[in-house]
Amino acid sequence: MDLLWTISTILLLCSLLSILWKGFDRRRNRSCYLLDFVCYKPSDDRKLSSELCSDIIVRNKRLSVPDYKFLLKVVVNSGISEDTYGPRSIIEGREECPTHDDCVDEVDDCMYRTLDELFLRTSISPIDVDVLVVNVSMFAPSPSLTSRIVNRYRMREDVKNFSLAGMGCSASPIAIDLVNNIFKTRKRTLAVVVTSESIAPNWYYGTDKSMMLGNCLFRSGGCSFMLTNDPSLKHRAKMSLKCLVRAHIGANDDAYSCAIQKEDDEGRVGFHLSKSLPKAAVRAFAENLQRLAPKVLPVGELALYVLRGFRHWLWRSKEAKTDAATAAMVNFKSGVDHFCLHTGGAAVIDAVGRALGLTKYDVEPARMTLHRWGNTSASSLWYVLGYMEAKKRLRRKDRVLMLSFGAGFKCNSCLWEVLRDLNDGGAWEDCIRAYPPQTLVNPFMEKFGWVKEA
Amino acid sequence: MPRAPLPEFSSSVRLKYVKLGYQHLVDNFVTFLSIPVMVAVGLELVRRGPQEIVGLWRALELDVIHILCSVFVIVFVATVYFMSRPRPVYLVEYACFKPPSNCRVPFSTFMEHTRLINSDEKSVQFQMRILERSGLGEETCLPPANHYIPPHPTMEASRAEAQLVIFSAIDDLIRKTGLKPKDIDILVVNCSLFSPTPSLSAMIINKYKLRSNIRSFNLSGMGCSAGLISIDLARDLLQVHPGSNALVISTEIITPNFYAGNQRAMLLPNCLFRMGAAAILLSNRRRDAGRAKYRLVHVVRTHKGADDRAYRCVYEEEDAEGHTGISLSKDLMAIAGEALKSNITTIGPLVLPMSEQLLFFLTLVVRKLINPKRKPYIPDFKKAFEHLCIHAGGRAVIDELQKNLELSAAHVEASRMTLHRFGNTSSSSLWYELNYIESKGRMRRGDRVWQIGFGSGFKCNSAVWKCMRTVKTPIDGPWSECIHRYPVHIPEVVKL
Repeated sequence: MDLLWTISTILLLCSLLSILWKGFDRRRNRSCYLLDFVCYKPSDDRKLSSELCSDIIVRNKRLSVPDYKFLLKVVVNSGISEDTYGPRSIIEGREECPTHDDCVDEVDDCMYRTLDELFLRTSISPIDVDVLVVNVSMFAPSPSLTSRIVNRYRMREDVKNFSLAGMGCSASPIAIDLVNNIFKTRKRTLAVVVTSESIAPNWYYGTDKSMMLGNCLFRSGGCSFMLTNDPSLKHRAKMSLKCLVRAHIGANDDAYSCAIQKEDDEGRVGFHLSKSLPKAAVRAFAENLQRLAPKVLPVGELALYVLRGFRHWLWRSKEAKTDAATAAMVNFKSGVDHFCLHTGGAAVIDAVGRALGLTKYDVEPARMTLHRWGNTSASSLWYVLGYMEAKKRLRRKDRVLMLSFGAGFKCNSCLWEVLRDLNDGGAWEDCIRAYPPQTLVNPFMEKFGWVKEA
Repeated sequence: MPRAPLPEFSSSVRLKYVKLGYQHLVDNFVTFLSIPVMVAVGLELVRRGPQEIVGLWRALELDVIHILCSVFVIVFVATVYFMSRPRPVYLVEYACFKPPSNCRVPFSTFMEHTRLINSDEKSVQFQMRILERSGLGEETCLPPANHYIPPHPTMEASRAEAQLVIFSAIDDLIRKTGLKPKDIDILVVNCSLFSPTPSLSAMIINKYKLRSNIRSFNLSGMGCSAGLISIDLARDLLQVHPGSNALVISTEIITPNFYAGNQRAMLLPNCLFRMGAAAILLSNRRRDAGRAKYRLVHVVRTHKGADDRAYRCVYEEEDAEGHTGISLSKDLMAIAGEALKSNITTIGPLVLPMSEQLLFFLTLVVRKLINPKRKPYIPDFKKAFEHLCIHAGGRAVIDELQKNLELSAAHVEASRMTLHRFGNTSSSSLWYELNYIESKGRMRRGDRVWQIGFGSGFKCNSAVWKCMRTVKTPIDGPWSECIHRYPVHIPEVVKL
């Protein structure tokens, strides 16, 4: 009988131990660490000054003088500096007929430069990469961009590669979501993500105003970053992913068609930005915050939010619920220390800043990124993060929220926790000392000041 | 992979039986081991007699508590074991797009259009020769925009084609399964050569009013094997999220990819690619296990991009006149064979019965240690699978694989007939082939299916499915009106 008891006890103990071990193991492998990120800095001969922008605009002979004025106004008031970068084909005058090689070279330059540096800085060999994700929204050649990277760096045969396309300016959190999910199914996995945008094949050379804004605001940029779930690399990691929320309101027709690539009346393809875009952005934003708040805010703040809401309902305030009133109900700064906002444009940054109740200090990284790099689409969040790091704002245990919007219409966000004090200059190395500048006003305002009279 | 003819003696009857005996022995090793043990125990029981056995039982002095504890422990251990296994992924149902007959492109139409569009007589003759030997039939379909002379590849037309093929397939799937769009948790779309912004996944979310917290991914540029990449991604997501289902859409949009130049290597896609789409519903919910058709057993992905030759064999580029097209190199067949070999090396140990693995291993040992000149043993994959679905990339691809894997005509029938009826529909072709096998009433419970896809990069991806219930011949589907005419004999050359 003792034998039976002994066997039963041993079996029970083994099962209990195995359950505990599995639970512990799963928690260990649940983490997603950011080892490093490298932002793309194109060569200086690709800088787009306002003067050059003006020349490019004027090259389109189909536009009338009011159109020129409109475009120059956008460029001059955009909050974008003289140091942003454009694709070579556009600078060299081939904006209306870029060759396939032009498009490929543009993306190759970004991917290879950033990846070379990433592998160098992390001292990790490309052969160790298990997962590779590339997202470039508006260019998907065959073989895919991931295949180009696998070929160049001679990666392994069993590398899991995914090439995302068409996912808009908000694709960075989507790529992170994909990698994070794979991390939960495999141990000790290393992932490399490359995010960029392709401008050369997507230059709009028609006369539809809603499609010309893209030309004025989008600039060349990109980022490569390395993620892992290997606990042994935690000591080298910069940040750890805490949560990720994706909200897609494409079910609403207006939201779906407010930022869409289509042909104009003359059959030229361009990226149409409609007037209902801000409304769609607000809705997507609200949808995202609703799910994000409980994950990000401390319990105390959530309780206060419930109380305020209850009080509001109790007193049944007659006035309409304004943005400011809504913002006052939740203080995001209680759960988040730094905000990486998508640099969609000065208006977008200001609107989001107001909605979240942020100060000038909080939106400074986003404004400065827009100034220095322009709207680099999906990779903009990483330039903003780079600014914070270069300014030595990121200290251990700080929480960083990345928030972006994209065509579809989506609002995606992810929260990171900083694992150690970060000091790299990165792509901002050579210019961080000049930021923030005295003024963001375009130096050519005098020259192009005539656009204001109209 | 050329193979020397086998020596005469191995085709002798005696050796065949020895081989058969060996296979049965190794595959059922555990059973063979347990038979003598069971016989011994049975004999012992009989010898002792029932009285002694009852006496033995009493001597154990078991009372209720002991029995309860033992039962509890057994149940507990069993639960732990079952909970720690990976979640099964079921294929509940799938639907393929059935092209409307007004989109048909018989050979005569294709040649007439080609002559009117293309002024270079040599290119026209070349395309005619390709078409004659392509293995395509007279009922393959091109999208409406390609019926214009010259084709009208606008973004609007591309979107219209996407809406036509994808929405038809999804509508079909919804009708068959009673799926509620709001119930979809994961959406993965793959379309290699058309990726608008917002993506095709956003287009689907808009049309069917899917939930705002859906996990959607849009893969592009990944070639003809992207369907299995999407399945791989959906499987990973389903491992992480319990009680979910995933909608996978595999398609290729032909409209924007008409090649208007004269470069021969780039004219091939015009001749071979046709309209098609498939919508697949995957689930990891236990309640779907009852109605699911298949269970996903393995997905193996192989990427040969590190090798320059493989990387460049399917390549999008511009010709001298500035027309963009996809160039297929002459090495394509050889590279496909090599990629398949790599894929098989990984999938072999997972699916082959023990007898084949042992033989392969022993031959490998002999080659490495004793005689390097000995021919490698090609495992008999027919033992591991009842059905094969090989991507209908073109007649040459199917021929090459048939030779490499030593398959009979019956094994590649689904692929050849799909190529004949639908043409090369890229990533969705595997699903048309599966539907052919089902339409022929050949899919039985317990059957294993091997899907092999090839694509630019160069990739070779495989998926292994196990059939969960005998599939009744479908009432409707892309093959419903023509299955009675198949299989057809496809001549080497169709004289045009």
